Amino acid sequence: MEVPYQVALWGVRLAFLLVLYLFLIRAFASLWRSLRVETELAARNALAYLIVQRTHATGPHVGERLPLRAVSAVGRDAANDVVINDEAASARHALIELTEGSWWIQDEGSTNGTVLNGSRLARRERLHDGDVVEIGRIGMRFEAFRA
Amino acid sequence: MRARPVFRGTELGHLVWVALLVGLGFVAVVGSEREQLTAAALAVPVAFVGIALALHFFLAFRGFRGDELLLPLALGLAAIGLVLVQRLAPAHLLPQQLTWAIIGGGAFVAAILVPRDLSVLSRYKYTWALAGIALLALPVLPGIGREINGARIWVGFGELLSFQPAEAVKVILVIFFAAYLEEHRELLARPPRRIGPVPIPPPPYLIPILLMWALAMGVMILQKDLGATLIFFGIFLAMLYLATGRAAYSVAGILMLIAGGWAASRVFEHVNARIVTWLAPFSDELRFGAGYQLVQGLFALGNAGLLGAGLGNGMPERIPVVWSDFVFTAFTEEVGFVGALALLALYLVLVFRGMAIAMRAPTPFLQLVAGGLSFALAFQTLVIVAGNAKLIPLTGVTLPFLSYGGSSLVTNFVIVALLLRISDVTMRVRGG
Repeated sequence: MEVPYQVALWGVRLAFLLVLYLFLIRAFASLWRSLRVETELAARNALAYLIVQRTHATGPHVGERLPLRAVSAVGRDAANDVVINDEAASARHALIELTEGSWWIQDEGSTNGTVLNGSRLARRERLHDGDVVEIGRIGMRFEAFRA
Repeated sequence: MRARPVFRGTELGHLVWVALLVGLGFVAVVGSEREQLTAAALAVPVAFVGIALALHFFLAFRGFRGDELLLPLALGLAAIGLVLVQRLAPAHLLPQQLTWAIIGGGAFVAAILVPRDLSVLSRYKYTWALAGIALLALPVLPGIGREINGARIWVGFGELLSFQPAEAVKVILVIFFAAYLEEHRELLARPPRRIGPVPIPPPPYLIPILLMWALAMGVMILQKDLGATLIFFGIFLAMLYLATGRAAYSVAGILMLIAGGWAASRVFEHVNARIVTWLAPFSDELRFGAGYQLVQGLFALGNAGLLGAGLGNGMPERIPVVWSDFVFTAFTEEVGFVGALALLALYLVLVFRGMAIAMRAPTPFLQLVAGGLSFALAFQTLVIVAGNAKLIPLTGVTLPFLSYGGSSLVTNFVIVALLLRISDVTMRVRGG
């Protein structure tokens, strides 16, 4: 009777470890699924993108696609639609919007200004596919959504 | 909140694993102690599964839409904690810990229900700050304060009940910092003034940095509680970084803490003793003295190997007070590197999920609260696990959800409830 009991006990001990791992794997799977749903949702609602071209160590990665909606506030504050993590960006920096079929960008009174294709924005300007927008130290290419 | 019930399938699915975990754990531990399993021995895991289901159905019937992963993770960790109390602690502590789990569940329900609107929390921020400081000061008062194992961090009423206010103060501090930092957010736009090459933060940041530093030093000197010092100050620096994005402020804070700690170790024997014990626990005078607990723990970790001695088959009784400060070591000894890795990964998923909730939260205040609470869980785990492994000086903080102790368990359940509520608000705002 002694040996089967010990064997069963070891079975339970290993089963405990196994369950620990299965629980962990299921938890990771849930995590992964919700991250994917999140990315897809953001991409589906996007009408256009800003694609990061030039950045710095703590900013977004080069090639990262920041989705734009019909009206998108851009700035350093977390409440913006597009959050620019850069000290030279103002809390509320710029506004990008789609009106009557074309895209527009305007500066929202930022401290360091918004640069479009190399020149500083003075008033509201049309935004074309491939234009380069610079906010703080972050340079981004504008890409209108093509279905 | 709409009262229509929702089906929280993911959560329920994960709870099956939690039930298996606590069941198998108890069978292994009790089966190792004596060669027969009685129904009484399994009453505790059954009761625990009852609590888990009660919390799940409470959320489901309220039509709660928040995260479905956090509660199973927290309960899974608490399940392992209960198994370890059965394994490690004197017998009378098990019913006590189960009682604390029930109280923790009650606190969870209360924190889901009250206040109805979370943003109320930011409105009374100075009341929170005062309450926090008052709670912290309680153990120093004669009469109700208690000094246990060299730290004056307990409040007791008679022999019946004792608790550590510092645990609850963590949550209060996070709420206060979040409200304060949100209020002074607009200062971010301004570059800091400089004296030579040294950036000087604007007064609304500088003053709390200095006050928090003074508070942390006070806790260290008056209450002899190195753990709480580290946790409070760590939470503050992390939230300052979350709110400002300026690493320089936090680095400066860390340097101030190191300088203060060094100065305190010169003047106060209890601080010095911790550091000496950490640096040379194997020395002749410490090996069987102040360093005994740490040394025994290190031997246990060293012996664990890949799969450990088997749950219930190790020798945790060789480490003094193993159920409070050394649960991680005891768990590792019996389940090995493989089990310890899984345990740390569970904490990782929990914290990652908390940070994800923070990133999606609709207001800066809620973002900072969620970020701060998640960081608090992560940092506390790091401090005690690293202390067990002699990476940093050992401090008496609890391993979240796992260590024996009521104040810690109840506080951690409240933290999970707050994170869940923030994710619920996010879901409702997004209409998803």
